[in-house]
Amino acid sequence: MRDVAVIGAEMIPFGRRDEDSLMDMLAFAGLKALDDAGLGDKSVDAVYVGNMGGGIIQHQTAIASSLVDRLSLLPAAAETVENGPASGGSAVKNGLLAVASGYYDLVLVVGGEKMREVTGWRATDFVATMTHPQVEYPYGITLPGMAGMFTRLYMEKYGVTREQLVTVSIKNQEMGALNPYAHVEMTLSREGIFDSPHSIVNNPVMADPLHLYDACPVSDGAAAIVICSLDMVKSVRKTADPTKPPILIAGFGQATDTQTLQERDDPTDLKAVTLAAQKAFEMAKLKPSDIQVAELHDAFTILEIAESEHVGFFKKGEGGKAAAAGKTRLGGQIPINVSGGLKARGHPVGATGVAQVVDIVFQLRHQLPRNRQVQKAENGLTVNFGGFGNNVLAFVLRRVQS
Amino acid sequence: MKKEILITAYKCKKCGKIHYPFHDRCLNCKGREFEQIKPKGNAKLLTYTAIFNLPWGFDQRFLIIGVAEFENNIKAMGQIKADSVDQLKVGMKVKPSWEPIRVQYGQDVYGLKFEPMK
Repeated sequence: MRDVAVIGAEMIPFGRRDEDSLMDMLAFAGLKALDDAGLGDKSVDAVYVGNMGGGIIQHQTAIASSLVDRLSLLPAAAETVENGPASGGSAVKNGLLAVASGYYDLVLVVGGEKMREVTGWRATDFVATMTHPQVEYPYGITLPGMAGMFTRLYMEKYGVTREQLVTVSIKNQEMGALNPYAHVEMTLSREGIFDSPHSIVNNPVMADPLHLYDACPVSDGAAAIVICSLDMVKSVRKTADPTKPPILIAGFGQATDTQTLQERDDPTDLKAVTLAAQKAFEMAKLKPSDIQVAELHDAFTILEIAESEHVGFFKKGEGGKAAAAGKTRLGGQIPINVSGGLKARGHPVGATGVAQVVDIVFQLRHQLPRNRQVQKAENGLTVNFGGFGNNVLAFVLRRVQS
Repeated sequence: MKKEILITAYKCKKCGKIHYPFHDRCLNCKGREFEQIKPKGNAKLLTYTAIFNLPWGFDQRFLIIGVAEFENNIKAMGQIKADSVDQLKVGMKVKPSWEPIRVQYGQDVYGLKFEPMK
């Protein structure tokens, strides 16, 4: 297997982008990443597009074929990869495997989603289509509902408190406010969402015991990376920008779990997260303590806490306390979701897995302003969580020593 | 009139593991033969939530949903007949019934409901 490096990484601001179609967003992000890679007019061998809802929301299929045409990348191979909210991660994985195998040398991976085109009702229904079609979906269960039931179990078993969840909301929105690509650029105060008489008005129950500000927004957006074989970086790039060293995809892991929560022996045990992260660490020959920055799939605050335990940053039951103690803030033991995470950067489902890699690439290139840069970051981790933990991808990224 | 609960679970003939919904092979031993079993008795509430942002197709303010375990160990999701989550507790007994859970294309869709027992 060949070593694979990210040589281009870019995204467009997430948010509500009424003026842009899904194809516009994919094209903007794709072109930015190609330019970031310094490819000039050079084409790529293949394009992988992560998208979950084009067929349902935009009533559009074969999106990758449309994108290569728009970007004048013909006759590059092209596929759309649908894997629920892990579609972005799965697109990255497909690109990684294609280059690692030696079949392709240079690949563009784009993830994108346009969700604000429909009402909240429709968007919630669209996301709920990933639940079991007979024994879950008809009941009106939603992903926030699954997260609510999971949170109740996690609270009962590990003593996670609402106060700990609130610290995650506040941290991630504080970081999002500093990120020009973030959907939500508004900071929160503890009084505003937790311990004042007004807090229940500002922050009503969404899926008990989770409240509105425990959840990510519904976003439009796209992100893209260009990857190539590490030994070809110099020959591929027309212009070598010394501030943008190649970032190695040092480790990858993926695992699945039962579709319904009730069929898991212990529904608080996110086995797929543990296994995906273990495989990624094993491949990278690193351990959790070697990671200096992580982007974890915080579609709900509880998930950031649970994943921080399952990937091995903290013991089970310690993640909530660690978050409350500031250990996951910038400057803390392991900064998590410095981008603002799904919570503030936003969660255009198909874009997320790619955007997480983009954010870690920014960190490992040391290209961010001081108030968002993890100093001397060498290794980063991403976790992209599909379904309710039934399909999870993890990537370990490493700055290549020059 | 009380309707029969139209749920079928699948007990692996080799290792006894109970599956709901159906799987083509046992999640435990990969066995392919199952005995069809029906839920028995009342159920125990394992977890629940009140959802306030409902999907398209539900014209109501909120919906309480939970997962409960029947006396013969079948676990299933259902809507919960309660006005508020304040009336609920993990581990409490609930009475199952088979009732309309939503309307689709003008027709009632039936499913599981659980009612808290005193």
